[in-house]
Amino acid sequence: MRDFNIEVIIQNKEMARDPVGETIRRDLLAKKGYKMVSNVRSGQYLRFNLEAENEDAARRIIEDLLNKLRIFNPVTQNFKILNLKKGN
Amino acid sequence: MTKVKLNGEDINIEMTKDEFEAVKELLKKEPNVTELGMFDVMWSEHCSYKSSRPKLKLFEDAEKNYDYVLAGPGQDAGVIDIGDGYVLAFRIESHNHPSAIEPYHGAATGIGGIIRDILCMGVRPIALLDPLRFGCLKDNSHSQWLFKYVVKGIADYGNCTGIPTIGGEVEFDDSFESNCLVNVACIGLGTKEDFQHAPSKAYNPGDYVILMGGSTGRDGIHGVTFASRTLTEMSEADRPAVQIGDPFIKKMIIEATLEAVKTGYVRGLKDLGGGGLTCATSELTGSGDTGADVDLRKVITREPGMNSYEIMLSESQERMAFIVKPEGLETVLDVFRKYEMSFAVIGRTDGSKVLKVYDGDTLVVSIPSKALSESPTFKREEKRPKYLDKLLLEKIPKRILSLDEIIYKLIASENICSKEWVYRQYDHEVGVRSVIKCGEGDSGVLRIIGTNKFIAASVGVNSKHCFLDPYEGSKGGLVEQCGNIISHGAKPIAMVNCCNFGNPEIPESFWYFSKSIDGMNDFCRDLRIPIVGGNVSFYNEDEVKKTAIKATPVIMIVGLIIGQENIITLPFKEEGNEILIIGETYAELGGSEYHSVIYDMEGGIPPKVNEREIKKRWDYIFELYRNNYIKSNHDVDKGGFVITIAEMCFKHNLGARLNIKDYNSNRLKDDELLFSESVGRFIIEIKPADHDEIMNLAEKFGVYVKQLGTIIDSPELIISGFQSKDIKLDLSKMKSLYDSTLPNMMDI
Amino acid sequence: MSVKIAVIQFPGANCDLDAIHVLKNVIGIETDLVWHNHFKESKYDGVILPGGFTFGDYLRAGIIAAHSPAIDEARVMLKDGRPILGICNGFQILTESQFLPGALLRNDSLKFVCKWVNLKVENNNTAFTNKMERNMILDIPIAHGEGRYFTDNLKELEENNQIVFKYSNEKGNITAIANPNGSMDNIAGICNLERNCIGLMPHPERASEPILSPNNTEHGKLFFDSMVEFIKRRTS
Repeated sequence: MRDFNIEVIIQNKEMARDPVGETIRRDLLAKKGYKMVSNVRSGQYLRFNLEAENEDAARRIIEDLLNKLRIFNPVTQNFKILNLKKGN
Repeated sequence: MTKVKLNGEDINIEMTKDEFEAVKELLKKEPNVTELGMFDVMWSEHCSYKSSRPKLKLFEDAEKNYDYVLAGPGQDAGVIDIGDGYVLAFRIESHNHPSAIEPYHGAATGIGGIIRDILCMGVRPIALLDPLRFGCLKDNSHSQWLFKYVVKGIADYGNCTGIPTIGGEVEFDDSFESNCLVNVACIGLGTKEDFQHAPSKAYNPGDYVILMGGSTGRDGIHGVTFASRTLTEMSEADRPAVQIGDPFIKKMIIEATLEAVKTGYVRGLKDLGGGGLTCATSELTGSGDTGADVDLRKVITREPGMNSYEIMLSESQERMAFIVKPEGLETVLDVFRKYEMSFAVIGRTDGSKVLKVYDGDTLVVSIPSKALSESPTFKREEKRPKYLDKLLLEKIPKRILSLDEIIYKLIASENICSKEWVYRQYDHEVGVRSVIKCGEGDSGVLRIIGTNKFIAASVGVNSKHCFLDPYEGSKGGLVEQCGNIISHGAKPIAMVNCCNFGNPEIPESFWYFSKSIDGMNDFCRDLRIPIVGGNVSFYNEDEVKKTAIKATPVIMIVGLIIGQENIITLPFKEEGNEILIIGETYAELGGSEYHSVIYDMEGGIPPKVNEREIKKRWDYIFELYRNNYIKSNHDVDKGGFVITIAEMCFKHNLGARLNIKDYNSNRLKDDELLFSESVGRFIIEIKPADHDEIMNLAEKFGVYVKQLGTIIDSPELIISGFQSKDIKLDLSKMKSLYDSTLPNMMDI
Repeated sequence: MSVKIAVIQFPGANCDLDAIHVLKNVIGIETDLVWHNHFKESKYDGVILPGGFTFGDYLRAGIIAAHSPAIDEARVMLKDGRPILGICNGFQILTESQFLPGALLRNDSLKFVCKWVNLKVENNNTAFTNKMERNMILDIPIAHGEGRYFTDNLKELEENNQIVFKYSNEKGNITAIANPNGSMDNIAGICNLERNCIGLMPHPERASEPILSPNNTEHGKLFFDSMVEFIKRRTS
């Protein structure tokens, strides 16, 4: 068994609206000299420290808990595993 | 789904083959895909009311028969003239199917939708009310999940838009487990002038058609026709049909719209809800007897490459359509610019009576404006369910528990306990109008600043009663909701309803709807309460389990109180004052909380309504008000009158000593007397010095009134006069049970 | 000499009209509702930043409004000592604009709370509390989801007497039960060093008329009466 460090980003699905991202771009960035930014998406960041046999097992555990416990909302969101590192 | 051939291709549509033929008849040609899609949506049950319209025609013409009704059923909201130059708009809607799949966004967009409907009448939305229904919470994590997120969705959206939620109700019953009900109501206040600027019709050729608000994306295409199908395994795949609302943009839309209306250049307003741009353009031109040219290239889209079908059927949230006088175009657009709202001038009205939609220079849709709103109606069969006869005869097994044990169980039960867990999450004071707030009384009471008038509003119905007898149950709902505002001193002046039923194609389900409409119709005509609007949600039925929800015709009543001194409140005021009950109790335990909580029973004889009797009681109460005789008032509801009295004791930690022996004119058993939910009864507090006059007036009005007892200083409920022994209830214990049920279940 | 106050209307503000109603109809002073892009400080003796959900509270409550030109204008008023009151979302905007120290975080219950609370007056020597008694218990409502006050410099706030209100019970005891959102030290409102700028989470504009108060009190009025007094003293 080894220690793993897994970072996950949860975002609204591409086809779903992201009022937070839209508002940041339109009402903050575009007005304050950052018109070159064409799109902003918001999300939540979670980091998990866990024990598993190997990388694949660790990845499976994370996918399992995200889905089973509805940590992300499958109707409107998806998730991406950003980083999977062996912990100290 | 029906399979038809369109231009040689097989295509699946929601409508029937007959409806498809009717479309071809109307257009005198075969429609293209976009046109067919538009009919498919507009002729869906949700948009066209095809199953319910024949029945709803029974209601009297409110606009014609009541001079203060300015807009009746069929418009975006009911509007009544309340004097002093003010009008009140109100409406109630359902968002059941989306909320069952995705409770947070479903409920939130439901609020978004109802706010828009009120805004369409040119007035400011000032209050929300939410009648909700879920499966029982105990040991049911699915129901708890739905409940938690529906409340959060309503709270987040309502709070962000700054509209206080001033009332509502929650009912829990197993029949709602797979089909929760999320109905949302909104009240708007404005001047008569503002309302006159915003009819939902484009009645003048040459006006501009402007789309304002959020951009158009691929959201919810077919979200509406999905609502007319029952929930089955299909639901998982259907999940994308739930939109994400944006309450911040909605708030900006509210301010921009109200300011635009005040310029005087807006000639028509419509929100884009179910059916999107199709519904808005066709209803505006159809009811205004005009036509329009609309160019889809002008519509601001959020996603690239959207075709005409997608743009016409998109249900992207937060969009409004304006019909603007040509001479005022720039003035109105300047208002939109001030609020930095995105807008597009997408077309102009004309006298052609045809809705023409272009993609640049290409004509992609050409439909007579009225055609989309004129779906054929269906005469549905109705049949009284066979199970009712047996159910009505159900009787309880021998009573084992003592009366006080039963009362402690009832006060803690889900349908009776305090709903504070819910309303603490709603901002119920923004707008500084809330005089009687959530949890303080039977209904919400709002002041109208600058006048001495107050608005009272209440919403709800008893679905367990309606399940056993939809005719008496819907009348009972009216009695109950009127009672809720009468107990605060308000006179009922108008009603809207939200009918939630099962599959109308099943005769037993349609029977419930039909009888509920009959009940509302008879009662409202008799008691002269105009029905100024309604909403029908069918197909609340689980196709797989074959369980339909209990019939739920939700009633909303609005009334007025003139003068702050005439507002009556609920809590008992003074030790030594007398406690009186107005109205007899009958052996009507059918559908009571007593039956369901203690015996898990659904049957029995439910309460009946006697309109003559109810009218006399109401007239009597107002006579008592005129003489300042009533110190507090609470109408009797679920659980019977002991629960009512306990609730009146809670606030000031008072108690009551009662003797119910004389109050048993119908020789009922102890439990029948205490727990029957006979409708239209009130508990009032009076001064002993006024006793004789009050009883004299009761005789004069022909109303049954009895003194039950006296208010005492200690938090105890002492009741004697039973066939069995006296009981003594600890009110502190009762309050603690009442307060802790929901937090214990939801806040772990 | 007439007093003129501005209530700034940011996109998404909800309690602006409520503040206008109290100032115009209850206190009786000249008040303008000013769209944030149009706000010019030179015309006004004082300014109110009302409650609501400016910019939907997206990203962080108050952060986008903090970048509005209206805040640059208000900064001039902050520096020359004119009274500035931030209510609820207004308080959040003031901390994000750094007119006041600290930050407002999500309630520890993670739920929005709307109810009446008690506040103990800790400092009655500010632009908005000079008509109150020290240790007075106020009756006033809250309605917020992000009201938990946090600072990494509590000691400095205490030493400088910048804590103006604390959540208490009816008797004035500062207890955990009386704290509706988990604020550090039960802090409900604070002021700047110069004492002309106050931010608080509760809503005085909802407590200025007995008809709206469950106890028939009108403690909210004291805030605005104090402001008028402060302006009169400054300009005399």
